[in-house]
Amino acid sequence: MIARRLPDAGRWALWVVLLVVVGVALGVGASRPGPPLTAVQRAQSIDAQVRCPSCEDISVADSSASTAQAIRQLVVARVRAGQSDQQIDAFLVSRYGPGILLRPPDTGVTAWVWVLPPVAVAAAVAGLASALWRRRGAAAPAVSEDDRALVDRALAQRAAAAGAGTGDTPAGPRGAGSVVAP
Amino acid sequence: MTPPLSASGLDLEPAPSGVRRRHSARWVAGVVLVVGAALVTLLATRPPQAATEVDTPLLGQRAPAIAGTTVTGASFDLSTLRGRWVVVNFFASWCPPCQQEQPDLVAFDYAHRTPGDTALVGVVFDDAASSARAFMRSTGAAWPAVVDPDGQIALQYGVRGPPETFIVAPDGTVVAHFDGPMTGSGLDYWLARAQRGTP
Repeated sequence: MIARRLPDAGRWALWVVLLVVVGVALGVGASRPGPPLTAVQRAQSIDAQVRCPSCEDISVADSSASTAQAIRQLVVARVRAGQSDQQIDAFLVSRYGPGILLRPPDTGVTAWVWVLPPVAVAAAVAGLASALWRRRGAAAPAVSEDDRALVDRALAQRAAAAGAGTGDTPAGPRGAGSVVAP
Repeated sequence: MTPPLSASGLDLEPAPSGVRRRHSARWVAGVVLVVGAALVTLLATRPPQAATEVDTPLLGQRAPAIAGTTVTGASFDLSTLRGRWVVVNFFASWCPPCQQEQPDLVAFDYAHRTPGDTALVGVVFDDAASSARAFMRSTGAAWPAVVDPDGQIALQYGVRGPPETFIVAPDGTVVAHFDGPMTGSGLDYWLARAQRGTP
């Protein structure tokens, strides 16, 4: 693992670079305009965002009700007449009220529906980064002189045993604990 | 321990649990039957559904145009009724609440036949012109009923389903909107209220 071999500052720089690259890629991908839509494609995308007035929570695009058919016809005519999506939405709202739109409006109280998710994600990422930073920056536990002496004795015993070349391993659990047993 | 009881004075063992369960099931079935009968009675005897005044973005706005052909083939234009109170009723022959309100509308129309009085205008909602014409004729309705084959008039008024009724003031603005079957007395009440300018 490359990150394991890097010093702390290098590892953090790597993470920051990765985050920036991902953020820029997402931003570019989201804002890049796709190929221009035909009138029918535009009308279909609008239909999918309009609630069928005489149905239970399905879009005009998915309904065969007469009211949905009338709206589909109107949307196609207005798209062909050069109206924007916002103008068509505004007309439908002027007839049926704001409930006709399946997509919540980005004004007033419902604006929170759009604002809260990215804020929550940003807060979660910031919290995670902060927790990781604190964990890394935490001071190493204090080591007393007795502990140091104990480790020194254990190391000396191990070195002596290795120098004697017995190769014997004491019975019991493996590891440093068995070496330092008095 | 409670001694077992019996009408004959003989000691009897308590009823086995299977018998008790059967008795409980009978009680439950009886209660369900009584509640069901009460519900059916309530639904069968309740008064017919009435229209309710509902909000619409069109209130206070200019009434959308209604121009076209009536079920009898005559041409019609709502703007020719400017200066009169107009009741615009969206209906269909297949709609039971429309059938329910029709006698009241016929009586209302008959009572407002004097020149310059309130005019009644029908708009056919999702129905064949021939069916609407037969419906009008069979109920004695004499007011113009405009066909709306592609539903664009209904869309302009934001109609979701029949019957829906709008009251249009002499200056052409929408002043009230109702969902459900109207009654003649209800129409007279709301018209009088609108004419007084009471919100």
